[in-house]
Amino acid sequence: MSVRSFIRALAIAAFMAFSGGGRASATMPAPKPDELAQPKSVDQPGFPEQLYKWVIPAHNPQSAAKVALGKELFFDPRLSVDNTVACANCHDPDKGFTDQLPTSMGVHGKFGQRNAPTVLDALFNIEQFWDGRAATLEDQAEQPILNPIEMGMPDEKTVVAKLDSIPEYKASFRSVFGSDPAYASVVAAIAAYERTQIAFDSPFDRYMAGDSNALTAQQKRGWAIFNGQGRCMSCHGWNPTRPLFTDDRFHNIGVSAHSANFVPHAREALALLAHGGGGAREIDRLAISTDMSELGRFLVTKQPHDIGAFRTMDLRNLYLTEPYFHDGSQATIWDTLDHYNKGGVQNPYLDGGIVPLGLSGQQEDDLAAFLLSLTSQRYMAQAEKEYQRQFRISRTTRPQRDTAAAMGLKGRNGPGFSGPFGDIGPGQAAMNENPASLGGN
Amino acid sequence: MPKSRILLIAAAACIAGAAGARYFPSRTVAPVAYAQSIPAHTLPSPTSGGVVIELCDGVTHTEVKGLKPGEPMSREEALAVTGRLMAEWRRKHPGVPWQMAENDQPSAMAAASGAAKSAASPASPPKLQQGDTYASFHERDYKIWKAQTDAFVAYGDQVFHSAKLLGSTIGVSCDMCHPNAANTHPETYPKYQEQLQRVALLRDMIDWCIENPVRGATLQPNDPRMRALEAYILAQRRGVPLDYGKH
Repeated sequence: MSVRSFIRALAIAAFMAFSGGGRASATMPAPKPDELAQPKSVDQPGFPEQLYKWVIPAHNPQSAAKVALGKELFFDPRLSVDNTVACANCHDPDKGFTDQLPTSMGVHGKFGQRNAPTVLDALFNIEQFWDGRAATLEDQAEQPILNPIEMGMPDEKTVVAKLDSIPEYKASFRSVFGSDPAYASVVAAIAAYERTQIAFDSPFDRYMAGDSNALTAQQKRGWAIFNGQGRCMSCHGWNPTRPLFTDDRFHNIGVSAHSANFVPHAREALALLAHGGGGAREIDRLAISTDMSELGRFLVTKQPHDIGAFRTMDLRNLYLTEPYFHDGSQATIWDTLDHYNKGGVQNPYLDGGIVPLGLSGQQEDDLAAFLLSLTSQRYMAQAEKEYQRQFRISRTTRPQRDTAAAMGLKGRNGPGFSGPFGDIGPGQAAMNENPASLGGN
Repeated sequence: MPKSRILLIAAAACIAGAAGARYFPSRTVAPVAYAQSIPAHTLPSPTSGGVVIELCDGVTHTEVKGLKPGEPMSREEALAVTGRLMAEWRRKHPGVPWQMAENDQPSAMAAASGAAKSAASPASPPKLQQGDTYASFHERDYKIWKAQTDAFVAYGDQVFHSAKLLGSTIGVSCDMCHPNAANTHPETYPKYQEQLQRVALLRDMIDWCIENPVRGATLQPNDPRMRALEAYILAQRRGVPLDYGKH
């Protein structure tokens, strides 16, 4: 265990103690499917019919039997090497299809490097994972089953043989796919189930449909800030055809810059990828189980502009999916707002759109209230409770708040500003050379 | 909204009403361009207690008996009245060339969606996005942009055909003289417009038509209906070269 992952493990232990303790342990049973795990109706205000037609792939059409099989698989810990971890462990329907942990726990109590994204509305993502290394939900589902610190199965063959030995599965696969279990049909069924997890029908959707009372006065102020001074819409922009709050792209907002030493990491990653062949599974391993994780999208594209860049996440149902950011490093929405307000954390690859925002505490509160309005009705009671919990924390605990930076009194907008990277100048190597051309062979 | 099947329409003919001298009352305009007054477009008084409806030639008119000021005609009535006025104008101007309006021409929207369908049909496996965050777009982005644009144009289509959305006090909508936006020739703007006695943009002419033949209130330049009307009118002229100042 490296020093860094030891610190991370300590942080996770502290987080769990802080948030009630005992929420996870090496022997935590896989969640059982309940009402919140049921396929959801598409009959929801705000549901994007046109987009839905585009995202259901022609090669994997939805069917009730396939969805039912996918649901069985999603909740079945037998997909893991020691029968302890199901997809639902990290994507628990009762926790907004996340685990509400900073990073996720796999077999043998091992923790990865990334925060579990929600399955809710994930069917609309152009690419999956925080670094978009999978083009489809099917491709996404292939990886965790085989990742050594997630579900830990050694290879596809073992997974298929195990399912083949379970008569119920054998019969289901034959009935749905017309053949015995195969890895491609395992992930196709899981993807089909995931495509039933649609969560619109929020106060915001009703507001946009013409119910002007669906948002509170504070939430309306927040929506204005969202589109104005807060600049949120630059990346989390909504439109009627694609009513999601993401641009489906990848930005370095400075989260990794707390700890990552980007350029040496980039060289190391390129060497490792060259050695390992650079396939999807190799990238998956680096992303989940090494410090290379902090390179984000760079692992996929090997382009320097993608160093430390991560997917823009949809903002719907945010109060179910705490903590936040790709490493789960921020405990509350207020912390994420403080992060943006001060202009992120300076690093040579910081996205040009990340600038100090000069938002007041009241404006941040308005944004936090607006974000609650993006909660699907069926989750509102749960989200409201979490909103109140985070609100109380935010009155006393603001680790990311830096009012002077937010107001432009220091840093790159303040006195003494001397260059495009402010007071954290990048090394010459970072300025002049593409790490992709430095690494590997 | 059923579209009129009238095939012939006069390039210069449209229906004008006596809305008085409320020309461009509330607009923020360049002082030089709009300092001069616009000639008043007055109507004869009704003789039988009805409402006088006039073409934009300032001459051809008819009185709708029994129609009270402020009471819009039904769409059927309005189509009958405008049809009579157009027929009268054509009778009086037998030598004037008429511009054909081919109603059954595939619209720009239909043509574009056909193209998108054929482009999307090959079942190629999805690929990861490549390129810079701000310079590369996914196939879905183009689809979304097109869907948004088509929705905007479709709203313009709706406004164009709706006396109610246009705010007409007499039940007249744009399509009654300009079926499918025929003879709006948006590609010829800016140009001098006789009715306005000045150089007009397309939106100035739209506003004039809304105020006079349609007898509604002028729209703010950023009114969603004005923006959608412009979008719809322009969308019907895909591929036509720009030719400003043409008459």
